Amino acid sequence: MINLTQAPCDKQLRIVDIQGGHGVRRRLLSLGFHKNHLIELDSRSILGGPILVRDLTSDTSVALGRGIAQKIMVEIVDE
Amino acid sequence: MRLLTNKNRYPDIIFIGQPNSGKSTLFNAIAGLKAETSNFPGTTVEHTHSKVNVEGKILNIIDLPGSYTLNPSDEVENVALKHLFVEKPDLIINVLDASILGRSLELTIELIELGYPMVVALNMMDLAEKKGIETNVDKLSQILGVPVVPTIATHGRGIKELLNTTLKVLRKTETVKPIRWSKDVEDKISELEQMIPSDFPIVQNKRFTAVKMIEAEKLLFDKMLLEINPSLKKGLDSVRKALEERHSAPAYEVIAAERHHLALKIFEESSRVTRRRRIDWLERIDDIIMHPFLGYLILLGVFLAFFIIIFEVGNPLEELLLGPLNSLRVYLADNLGRGLLFYLTEGLIQGIGGGIAIVLPYFIPLLFLMSLLEDIGYLARASFLMDTFMHKIGLHGNSVSPFILGFGCNVPAVISTRILESRRDRIITSLLIPFVPCSARTTIILALIAFYLGPLWALGFYVFNIFLLGLLGRIISLFFKDPSPGLILEIPSLKMPSLKNMARKTYVQLKAFAKFAWPILIAGSVLLALLQFFHLDRFVNLFLSPLVEKALGLPQELGVTLVFGFLRKELSLVMMLQALGVNYQELMSVVSQQQLVVFAVFICFFIPCLSTVAILWKEIGRGVALVSMALNTAVAFVISLVVRLIFKL
Repeated sequence: MINLTQAPCDKQLRIVDIQGGHGVRRRLLSLGFHKNHLIELDSRSILGGPILVRDLTSDTSVALGRGIAQKIMVEIVDE
Repeated sequence: MRLLTNKNRYPDIIFIGQPNSGKSTLFNAIAGLKAETSNFPGTTVEHTHSKVNVEGKILNIIDLPGSYTLNPSDEVENVALKHLFVEKPDLIINVLDASILGRSLELTIELIELGYPMVVALNMMDLAEKKGIETNVDKLSQILGVPVVPTIATHGRGIKELLNTTLKVLRKTETVKPIRWSKDVEDKISELEQMIPSDFPIVQNKRFTAVKMIEAEKLLFDKMLLEINPSLKKGLDSVRKALEERHSAPAYEVIAAERHHLALKIFEESSRVTRRRRIDWLERIDDIIMHPFLGYLILLGVFLAFFIIIFEVGNPLEELLLGPLNSLRVYLADNLGRGLLFYLTEGLIQGIGGGIAIVLPYFIPLLFLMSLLEDIGYLARASFLMDTFMHKIGLHGNSVSPFILGFGCNVPAVISTRILESRRDRIITSLLIPFVPCSARTTIILALIAFYLGPLWALGFYVFNIFLLGLLGRIISLFFKDPSPGLILEIPSLKMPSLKNMARKTYVQLKAFAKFAWPILIAGSVLLALLQFFHLDRFVNLFLSPLVEKALGLPQELGVTLVFGFLRKELSLVMMLQALGVNYQELMSVVSQQQLVVFAVFICFFIPCLSTVAILWKEIGRGVALVSMALNTAVAFVISLVVRLIFKL
């Protein structure tokens, strides 16, 4: 289990856990970040800056600050 | 109650949808097409109303801010929830983005739980088709239990069918039934439903109230319930606990997951995805715009072009409008004499004309370009790119668009801080906005510094201004213990802009500005004209002379211009010449270079103008407005002194 900032780009990732306060969790939930959901890290993320996450089911992109990305725990899905 | 009022009022139709679903485009297409009375935003820009006539029947349509869910913890989404609770609409039009149907349906499911009559507008059908998503509209309608109408708002397609369906549904009084979730969750919900006493304020149906109670975990509602009805709170807690234990997740997450899974299931049952590809050329453009290096170059280019266009359009327009205004003043001076009547009319003209000739020429192109950047989806990308820099001043990417708006006018910039989800970010951003040089202050910088000292000085002033903004941000954020919550922002897919939509957006924002700031401008100008007529300006100069003469080393006559500056920044410029009794070309014969820079610096940074203070007071609170005034004055004072010292060396 790694957090989103440590995850490799362009590989399918499964959300295992979302940590952090309920305010942040609620906001992430409303944007489709649920447990077991499949996402992908976009290569266009900025070094040391925000990352870009692609939701594979709904085909949307969400920008996340690093602090928030660290709270999302994922595992790499073997294809 | 409803029966009594029904005869005399028009049915309320609410437009609601997730952000970027094209909801406002659809609303504007309908309101713009058949608007009977004009569109008026509340001064708060909370929602837009319009009355439309559909085949002889008048409907009162209301556009609510985009919301992902009816989550009561978010300030913007609270507006939507409150409206649904208090105003009880006659019908809901839920606008969906068909190209991301799976996620959009989550809000639909939640709205259906409310039980109000409802119509779904399946929007952006063209985009969905390009993405290879085929939705069986009849099947979707059958599963949801409400009519579904496919639309393409940008082309005006499907709007007639949508309105006809709306009328049809209004005539029937069928209740909408919620779609059932997993049995164990449903059992717990009905268990809680039984506990709700009959005198409890119910919104439409008991099930919805029960669900919302479970979801309100850790929010203000819980504390209130504990005081009002402790036994119900106890029952609620036990229901939550049972859900938590069974699903090993907080109860509100269990509910959210139920909706999520249901939405995906409905999506799979109603739609077929033939090829999962984004449009190639758009993706390629996106790659360049968001590129970690090229992206910043483009961002810089966009901002430069942004300002060049605004000044290229604004400058000639301003001259064009100022000319007749000046002739009118000369004419009035000749014909009205120098009596009270002249001063009053002159004040009135200054107020009305200042708004038209000085603010609008820059403000309209700015609003228009802003809506273009927003429409094509660039604003979200700029926020993404700027996030790292904003972190350095204690904020994050979401504050970027209020700052950009601030270059036009600080007033709408303060209003737009509503998009920030945390109060901390809102306060810091609002305190920094008055340091963003608005179009009025840019006029001063151009007219004083660029004209007399050269354009490089003006550029230097701008660079210093932005540096100061960053420094202040760092200092202000030291006063807040919690760090900024960080960026969570959906990046919508790039879209072609719609001219009609941009014009509409500009118009609505312009009207909000005119309603709020203009009256203050006019009243201020008239007041100052009276001050001059009764020669009270001498006392003002005398009173301010310790500051103006002793500390800043400026001519005493400039004291009154500071008061003008508080009412309207650019008035200081006009009054400066008048106070010193010289014309524009002769200015340098009565003031030194140093005095000129000190004056410009002080005027630009001291107290935000009256309209800005008023909007800060109204939007963020009295405390913040007062702090803002003190902070600006202190900063202006210190920098002016430093400038004076540097010139002495």
